[in-house]
Amino acid sequence: MHTPSTVLRTVLPSLLLLPLLPSPAAAVFRDEVGHIDYHHRLLGLPQRETTFFHRPRRDDRASLLYTLTDAAVVGAVNPGTGEVVWRQPLTAFSSSGNASAAGAGDGAGGFLRAAEGEGWVVSAYGDAVHAWDAISGRSRFQSALGGTGGRVVDLEVMEMTESGEARKDVLALFEEAAAAAGSTVLRRLSAADGSVVWEFREVTRDVPLQVSTNLDKVFLVSLRGTPGAYSLKVGILDPVTGKKVDEVVLGGKGEDLAGKEDVVLVGANSAAPIVGWTDAAKKTLWVNVLGSKTRHPFPLADDTVSVEIHAPHLVQSRPHFLVHTRTATGHRGQVFHIDLKTHTVTQAYGLPHLAGPGAFSTSSDGANVYFTRITEDEVILLSSQSHGVLARWPLKAKGDAALHGVSEVLRKPGAEDSYAVRAAAVTDADDWVLIRNGETAWTRPEGLSGAVAAAFAEIPEDEDLARSLEHEAHGNPWEAYLHRVRRHLNDLRYLPAWLESIPARFMSSVLGADVAPAAAGGKLVRDSFGFRKLAILATRRGMVYGLDVGNKGGILWRTRAFKMPRGLRWDVKGIQVHDGTARATLLGAHNDFVVLRVDTGEILEAKGPSPQATTQATALVNTASGTRLIRIGRGGKIGELPADQAPRQTVVTRGPDGELRGVVFVADGATARETTSWTFSPPAGYRIVHVATRSAHEAVASIGRVLGDRTVLYKYLNPNTLVAAAVNDATRTLAVYLLDTVSGQILASARHPGVDPSKAIECALSENWFACTFFGRYPLRDDPAQSLQGYQIVVSDLYESDVPNDRGPLGDPASSRSAGYSAVGPVDDPTGRVPLPAVVSQAYILSAPLAALQTTQTRQGIASRQLLAYLPETRGLAAIPRVVLDPRRPVGRDPTPAEVEEGLIRYHPALEIDPRSVVSHEWDVLGVDKIETVPAVVESTCLVLAYGSVDVFGTRVTPSFLFDILGKGFNKASLVTTVAALGVGVVLLAPMVRRKQINMRWKAPL
Amino acid sequence: MLPIRTLLQTALLVGAGILPSSAVADPNPSSSTTTTTTTKTTTARQSTSQTTKIILRLPNAHPYLPNPHLLPASTLATLSAPGLSFAAPLSADNAFVFPAVNASASYLAEVHCQTHAFVPLRLDVEVVAAAAAGKKAGGAGEGGEAAGGGKAAPTVRVRAWETIRGNDWGNKGEGVPAVREGEGAWALEARVLGGKWYFMERSTFSVLSVFKNPIILLSLISMALFFGMPKLVENMDPELRAEWEERQKENPMNAIMGAASGQGANPMGSFDMAAFLAGSKPRTEESSGNGNGNGKAKGEVKKKR
Repeated sequence: MHTPSTVLRTVLPSLLLLPLLPSPAAAVFRDEVGHIDYHHRLLGLPQRETTFFHRPRRDDRASLLYTLTDAAVVGAVNPGTGEVVWRQPLTAFSSSGNASAAGAGDGAGGFLRAAEGEGWVVSAYGDAVHAWDAISGRSRFQSALGGTGGRVVDLEVMEMTESGEARKDVLALFEEAAAAAGSTVLRRLSAADGSVVWEFREVTRDVPLQVSTNLDKVFLVSLRGTPGAYSLKVGILDPVTGKKVDEVVLGGKGEDLAGKEDVVLVGANSAAPIVGWTDAAKKTLWVNVLGSKTRHPFPLADDTVSVEIHAPHLVQSRPHFLVHTRTATGHRGQVFHIDLKTHTVTQAYGLPHLAGPGAFSTSSDGANVYFTRITEDEVILLSSQSHGVLARWPLKAKGDAALHGVSEVLRKPGAEDSYAVRAAAVTDADDWVLIRNGETAWTRPEGLSGAVAAAFAEIPEDEDLARSLEHEAHGNPWEAYLHRVRRHLNDLRYLPAWLESIPARFMSSVLGADVAPAAAGGKLVRDSFGFRKLAILATRRGMVYGLDVGNKGGILWRTRAFKMPRGLRWDVKGIQVHDGTARATLLGAHNDFVVLRVDTGEILEAKGPSPQATTQATALVNTASGTRLIRIGRGGKIGELPADQAPRQTVVTRGPDGELRGVVFVADGATARETTSWTFSPPAGYRIVHVATRSAHEAVASIGRVLGDRTVLYKYLNPNTLVAAAVNDATRTLAVYLLDTVSGQILASARHPGVDPSKAIECALSENWFACTFFGRYPLRDDPAQSLQGYQIVVSDLYESDVPNDRGPLGDPASSRSAGYSAVGPVDDPTGRVPLPAVVSQAYILSAPLAALQTTQTRQGIASRQLLAYLPETRGLAAIPRVVLDPRRPVGRDPTPAEVEEGLIRYHPALEIDPRSVVSHEWDVLGVDKIETVPAVVESTCLVLAYGSVDVFGTRVTPSFLFDILGKGFNKASLVTTVAALGVGVVLLAPMVRRKQINMRWKAPL
Repeated sequence: MLPIRTLLQTALLVGAGILPSSAVADPNPSSSTTTTTTTKTTTARQSTSQTTKIILRLPNAHPYLPNPHLLPASTLATLSAPGLSFAAPLSADNAFVFPAVNASASYLAEVHCQTHAFVPLRLDVEVVAAAAAGKKAGGAGEGGEAAGGGKAAPTVRVRAWETIRGNDWGNKGEGVPAVREGEGAWALEARVLGGKWYFMERSTFSVLSVFKNPIILLSLISMALFFGMPKLVENMDPELRAEWEERQKENPMNAIMGAASGQGANPMGSFDMAAFLAGSKPRTEESSGNGNGNGKAKGEVKKKR
């Protein structure tokens, strides 16, 4: 037992240390970091209730900005610089089944709290509670409810003053799903290790809402009754034992609560926690100090749209709170005071109605409570005591309106009534800005997270020159000549500027900056290498961004296409970019569309989303009137199209039962009707989990593969193919089909047993090969006694024939003599060779799971290809060279000299992802869902954009190295010095050589 | 295989279902009606599937990882088996805690880190009868498991080995001792493989590296000879010089070199065929003694190497 294992153990380190990849073609040089690539390290859009300033060290005044965002990421941001200190994606650690119940990343919800003076923050998402170290971001403890569909409803930190216990415990309120008796569970978790101190369990039909504590009680607020007519139930618990002490029911006939959303939640932990709710018509705000039985009604203005309550979170703060009412045109605030003895609430003062949405935030410093108001043009600091304005700063950079924010007030020591305020606010353009005393300190483009679709666009060319040239060509010669002279004289204006730019251009060219910065007149200009493009990025929040790919991925413009209602995502199904007209069309799932200019983001045409999702997908098709993006409806229906807009090729759609349908359009007068040409249904029990298609631009340079002996294996290059992966959940079998999209015929198929259907299964198709990755455990075919377990990738090559120099049935003179091959044509000789590809496959065990598979694309397809994939566990983007994935690698023997010449290396079943093939190198790229690639003008380079629920990352990859331009590695300075040194040498040596030659002449006749 | 899939969801709840009973020293029954239902469901679930807590620790001072506190917070560990997967973040005390891992599965345990690579492990979580566990604990040293205790209920046992990717799953590597820690928790240590290097080294240009090149060195030497030798010869004593020249003539190599210094590179260039056939002595070449030409010849020969 030990002998083989020790042998293998000695082999193992060498496997990793030896570079397994023959040439780390994807490797990044350190000096290229930030030059060829860019990374928007994001968190998601901070949520109002889960964002705060917190001091991670008790005796240090420095604080960090903590947030749990709508992308379900917990993170800490340095408020001074705006840099992310740490971040943790909660979806990764929430058990999979329950994360979906919480809405997995879509308007995430969740809770984040911190205890004053403690070095940790605690988050809740799905059914799990996690405590994180406030400085390092590491886990302190975790705890989960478990159970089917249970989820956390509220989370609170107990500001304990219990004798003998210095720790501040966590209260977590869970709601179990109806299936599990629909009970309410309140747990007190120890702050030391997350163990349960006590548990309170109640099986009722009540809807648990919130938990709050004051010094000596725990309040459990829930809704009792039926939807539409709830009353509020407040259970009072003993914090030490968790036993119920009392129960108060509030509200009754007439002022019923319609539902959860009418309760203005207060996550307050103050000396007097309150609960506030409004009636459905938003006419009255009811406030109850928890523990008392009286409700205090306060009338609301007629045009109130929404109400928020801002209250301090500290026990020692004065029991004051602010009610923020939003109206259609503006916002106002009212400050209330609570009398701790009588539990009465009185209005202290009101703040004037101001235009714009505005944001209020609370900040407490000991007993003092401050309210910061951010309006359209200024930041106002108020004390909770009186309505006098403590300080006000005009906003220096006026821009987007703040929607909500958090603030930190610093009273400057010494000077009386001198304050400093920094407020982090989320704006209506999905930015997160920090305003320090009215000045914008930093802006984080958090709106870039949650990207659903992206496309590359060319920078629109200046058309003036083309137009004037055309004018000259068509005018009479003399006029054309005059026009030309005038144009040239006119151009002379630019000469001084051009001359001025020469030294800078020379320096940048010597120092290796190949893309001119955008600062050059603020004008977008294409570069000669094609590295500078625009990336159009649409997010689920309804924003569209234009990124300047050549200039570190900076945001060029941003436009709000639609204001998405809460909980609804803008599901962009397809983007088509017309480079000629510089327009981009975005089609959404809800029958919506936007047409905008790619260089400015100006919306030219738009139609808002309808309530129902109507679109399954979109397809880019060739029609009589050019390339068009057509909408495929639900159930795969396209409907009638005008004849000139009908696709010429077969469109593959998903049928209502998930089957694949090939649809062709038959012209019928001015319209064209869709007709099903073929249907592919997977075998019974199977469901199609992934369909991989070729990218729109795919250039293949060589139709064959030259072997070592100069014979050729012809590639099976059929552009009308797709790969469908179907999985059977019962038998855990994966079936992979290669389909001909014209005829629907299965060209090749493979079955993989022991595949885990609950983990990601993805495929990619390119050129004459396809790859599928999955997690599997199965016995080996050639030795059933052995089995394998792990993430795997199966790569298949397609050739016209497995014999070199033979084109198989496709090369038959009979078929080539006719007009060519047709997939739907009859087979002349059914017993003869059917034109099916010869498939060579090989499986590899991966060292990490892969997701979002994509292949690189170059302009001519000459450069070798790489398989790009996101590594969800190590959070990086890997570029695996095709050479490594080659299914023709010789198994069990060293390659013969001929195979070495072909570039084949010996097969090894394990495929370690070499860190040098990680193109995102040390960067932590989180939450990538899709990768887009586009060729540059130079053949060697492919532009990559990775985006998804959180981060945006872009780079340039060179699968066969940078062979056509001089990269940064080319030291121009040393070239110049070498040439200069040689010149000096020549000048010095020339007289010597001349003297010597003359001497030789004189000595020659000897 | 099939039951595991169906058990997945029930198993997930059991994980937390067990928590109060195992972690709470004094569970406080809140209300009489509910406590009974809780205990009932917990026992019912335990009979179908069991879970255990697994703690994967990082070594404290490994040569490749001297300070695990410097690892990024994004480091995480995963357990994957068909139909099951668990992920745990790195904790402040350098461990990965999986609070509830389903029993009766063989997991692939991996630590994913940006800066370091770790050995993949095979982790078997098995349900064993308490008696069997106790008996086996004495015999099997590899798993390193502690005795289960005197309970009648079946307990969970965790065993771990290094595994080699691309090898038979049954082909276990070196055992990793898993130690029972308290009630229902098992701890084991992850193994560091080394650091990760993401960047390719760019060949840097420096003047020194140019002079390290042997070809450059050779040409420099020959250049020194080319310029230096005539100077040396000129500075010599007339006697010594004569002697040296004499010796140069005797040197058989010199004939060749001298010839090379003359009209052509061909050493046979000065060979007089007619004179040879006529039997006359070859004519001595005076110019070959010329120090200047000699030096040049040497240089040329050296260059040719």
